Amino acid sequence: MINPVLLIAIPLLAAFISVFIQKLSWVLLFGVSIFTAISGFFLQKGMFMIGGWKPPFGINLMIDDYSFIIIIVINLLFFLTLLSGMWELKKNKTILMVILAGINGLVMTGDLFNLFVFLEIITISGYILAASSDKYYSVFKYLVLGTLGSSLYLFGIMVLYGTLGTLNMADISQQFPNVSGSVKIISLTFVFAGLGVEAKLLPFNAWVKGIYGNTTPLTGPLFSTVFATGAIAVFGRIFGQILVPDSTLIFAFIALGLITFIFAETSAMASKKLRELLTFSSIGQAGLIITMFMIGGFYAALIQLINNAFAKTILFSYATKAYKSNGDDTINNMSGLFRKNVMMGFGFTVATLSLIGLPLFFGFYAKINMLQSAFALNMWIPALIILGSIIEGIYYIRLLVKLWNPGEEGQESSELAQSQFVIKNGFSLSLIAVLIGIIFVVSGIIPDFLTENIAKAADSLSDAATYLSTVLGGI
Amino acid sequence: MTINSLIAQGMISSLLVYLLTKLNKKLGAFLTVLFSGYLLFVIFGFQNSAGEVFSLIHFGEFELTFMTSHYAWYFAIVLTLTYFLVSFFNPYWMKKMVNPAAYNMLFMVSMVGTVGVFYAKDFLTLFIFYEIVVWSSLFIIPMGKSRKTPVIYYTISSIGSFAMLYAIFYLYHSVGSFDIQAVSEAMSQAPNTYRFVFFTMIVAGLTKLGIFPFHTWLPAAHGSAPHTFSPVLSGGLVKVGGFIALITATVIPSFKILAGDLQLMGVPFENYLIMLLGAVSIVVGTLMAIKQEDAKKLIAYSTVSNSGYIIIGLMLNDQVGFAGGMMHVFNHAMASGAMFLSFAAIAYRTGTTKMSELGGLIKRMPLTFAAYLIAIISLAGIPPMSGFASKWLIFQGLASNGMMFIALAAFFGSIGSFLYVFRPLSAAFLGQLSPKHKDVKEVPWMMQIPLIIMSFLTIFYGIFPGRILAYISKIQESVGLKGVEIEGTKIIAATGMWDSLVITLVFGGGFMLAAILFFISPKAKPVDQMNTYTSGEFIYDPDHYHYAKNYYATFENNYGNKKRVELFFDAVALRVKEFGEMVKTMFFAKSVSFSIFWIMLFFTLVYFWGDKV
Repeated sequence: MINPVLLIAIPLLAAFISVFIQKLSWVLLFGVSIFTAISGFFLQKGMFMIGGWKPPFGINLMIDDYSFIIIIVINLLFFLTLLSGMWELKKNKTILMVILAGINGLVMTGDLFNLFVFLEIITISGYILAASSDKYYSVFKYLVLGTLGSSLYLFGIMVLYGTLGTLNMADISQQFPNVSGSVKIISLTFVFAGLGVEAKLLPFNAWVKGIYGNTTPLTGPLFSTVFATGAIAVFGRIFGQILVPDSTLIFAFIALGLITFIFAETSAMASKKLRELLTFSSIGQAGLIITMFMIGGFYAALIQLINNAFAKTILFSYATKAYKSNGDDTINNMSGLFRKNVMMGFGFTVATLSLIGLPLFFGFYAKINMLQSAFALNMWIPALIILGSIIEGIYYIRLLVKLWNPGEEGQESSELAQSQFVIKNGFSLSLIAVLIGIIFVVSGIIPDFLTENIAKAADSLSDAATYLSTVLGGI
Repeated sequence: MTINSLIAQGMISSLLVYLLTKLNKKLGAFLTVLFSGYLLFVIFGFQNSAGEVFSLIHFGEFELTFMTSHYAWYFAIVLTLTYFLVSFFNPYWMKKMVNPAAYNMLFMVSMVGTVGVFYAKDFLTLFIFYEIVVWSSLFIIPMGKSRKTPVIYYTISSIGSFAMLYAIFYLYHSVGSFDIQAVSEAMSQAPNTYRFVFFTMIVAGLTKLGIFPFHTWLPAAHGSAPHTFSPVLSGGLVKVGGFIALITATVIPSFKILAGDLQLMGVPFENYLIMLLGAVSIVVGTLMAIKQEDAKKLIAYSTVSNSGYIIIGLMLNDQVGFAGGMMHVFNHAMASGAMFLSFAAIAYRTGTTKMSELGGLIKRMPLTFAAYLIAIISLAGIPPMSGFASKWLIFQGLASNGMMFIALAAFFGSIGSFLYVFRPLSAAFLGQLSPKHKDVKEVPWMMQIPLIIMSFLTIFYGIFPGRILAYISKIQESVGLKGVEIEGTKIIAATGMWDSLVITLVFGGGFMLAAILFFISPKAKPVDQMNTYTSGEFIYDPDHYHYAKNYYATFENNYGNKKRVELFFDAVALRVKEFGEMVKTMFFAKSVSFSIFWIMLFFTLVYFWGDKV
């Protein structure tokens, strides 16, 4: 059993060491990543006090089933990202270790201000990494909006602190229902907006297009899977368990989630560049998953979160590699590219079909669960989810058909019309793609072997009483 | 052998076929023949089985189960037979395919998927296999001529399938079960729920069948799919839509549940509306088929029209018309399969399916010609082919209910089909042989097998339609309808009876008489296509002198050339894209100020409205 503090402390320590021993930094990075990826499975569950102060007076880490599974997923995703982006590490190794510490802390922490600190750590590291793409204006926009988001979040928790005198999540969740309506609405909207910036909710997400649309093989999967999963998981934790909105306000949030989903999917439909298309798809998925968290379908939300994260690893790695190798990612110029690298093509296809939610792939299980929990609420939300899925399916199928089949329109498909593009340094991605592809197919036929822990996680998120007694039980 | 292990075997052997095709292209293709034959054989053994339940897997908290039934067997046998016959063409196309391994694998997956659809006990299983069929067939189409049409196919198909998914979960929410039988029982108490479900669920059937206004994917996808897959799409996969319609309207007995609703001409108005759509597709399909230059597109439009007959028959839910609709499923599978296959044969030898580039192939490919001729006679509903039996029954059903307008459309389609099926016949097979195709030969023997079998079945069930109708009457009884009445070769309907054997003999006699007249009268003198008077001008392009160019020009000029439904769908697609662009500029503009505005607006709205919390 591994103490969860180590998941934050060891990457931070390694980051410090790597500043002094530059040559060993890649060993440290991979070592730390492998350590966190493996130790995620052996994490000790329960509440951990930091500095010996009992909650609600001190900061605590909380490992329940929910953060347990998110930690495993995020650390695995981080490792996969490193593997597929290992040619792009350059001078970013220290930053990456800091990000690893930050994202682990973000998921595990039981304190709202501590969460703010970790959020700042990863967003600032995010600015630095994003700047490696040389699109400084986009980074500046990210900086402005990211700072705005952090300030909004900080303002939200300030209101809470002023009212309740505590920042401990468990303590707040206990007292929150008794807070007066106006405080509730102010704090909730500010926290929502602040986290919405990182979670890519419309209208707080203007930075995403510039950043995601110009990613490198390292930052692409990193932002779209590790950051996105972390941000959405925190969203689920806070609005699913800690600060549960009232039934009226929650509809505003659900509406925003659904608007994000459908608007972003239509934008993706209008995109001609692969990375831009995937960007909008990421935004759409974020909107969908957050909607699911808001309507209380935690199980469906978690399945889709994991489905989306692993699918996007392949999709973004492939797209960014294609751009890196050829200097272009216009979809029309890529026709027949999968014929050159069938393994990646297989992984990409399976990931895509899973993301759309077609049967035989894991995403279908996510979709039927989403519909089931949406129908429990009313008839309109599932209809909108289905509308978004149709749009999503169309542009992804258009993409797949293009990438598998070279050929002029009106002529038989043949190798002659194949794109001149190549994928360089694709070996590690091929392996990842096949591995994830097989997992998607197997879990699409027998979902139980993945979903057992997800179900537990969803239960622990909806079971606030256990959370409270674990954290505050000592008092 | 059980259905569940059959499905599992199919899925595993599709992977096997993929690997073996990578090793040797022909070997993989022969395996598809072998496996589809095996599937046909095993399915055939389920002929008399009904109510046997097989459990596939636990899918999360749901259970996927199969149940045998007569209607499932009927559809499954039609589909597996079509797949089996078409698979004989596969080995010859491997060299031309861009990705033969994927083709063979997807061919198998879609075939197994259809069996899964038909034998599904619950809606979830049905939907899963339905979608498997959609995406597996979807990825075969772009191996042909177009990369755009699969997207059209997917779009229309997913509108249908997601509407069905919505209906399924709506039912699950209100009934608490996916089981078709349980749903059917629960719905008899809840006609209001069922009315909504009926319309949302049947959309899946309409899209797959290609009923107006969802018919646009048929000519697009069937016309541009690989030549070996078009017959499967048209003869086979379209029928999956018929099955969904059957489940929605008959297996869940719409005529009983909705008996309290407004009745139009003896059927509930819901069914009547769907029949009207069927009638429109008959007319649209016929008119559009008449003016097609490309034979494959022409046959695809004829499928639209014939799907109209199927849906009209199924929606009648009576003793006669329903039997006609069910029989038409088989007849059309064989006829359109044979038509597509004969044009695949032509394409194999000449490389084109454009009618103006062909001609006179009767002398070079007599067997293909015969197969095509028999198929079109059946499709046009002329005795003694089996197509006559089903159309006669549908007409009887319409007439006895007094459905004037629909009957008018049905007769229109029947007469119009003479026009359009004759065009490829005269353009490709009759007339002068194009100098380009002087050295064309008949197709290899293995490609002749399916043509012969399809022709044989068409004639056989034309002479003895009772063989099929006896089984259909079993189906009718199993879903609570009165079985169609047969006595030997006599088929009895409300307005009279018809003896197929007598009619066959009469037609046989007529045929003999005509043959005698042909042989004793003087022979026509064949003239070469280039042997024509041109005022001394040099002829270089035989296509322009093809007599089938602008074949029905005068007729076509009477109705416009605009594809209005396509234009409408294009406009919708364009609007969605424009909306996407708008979102991009409104929310993801270059300047940050836009998003600051939206954030401000969000806070303002929340605070204005928030005091109600």
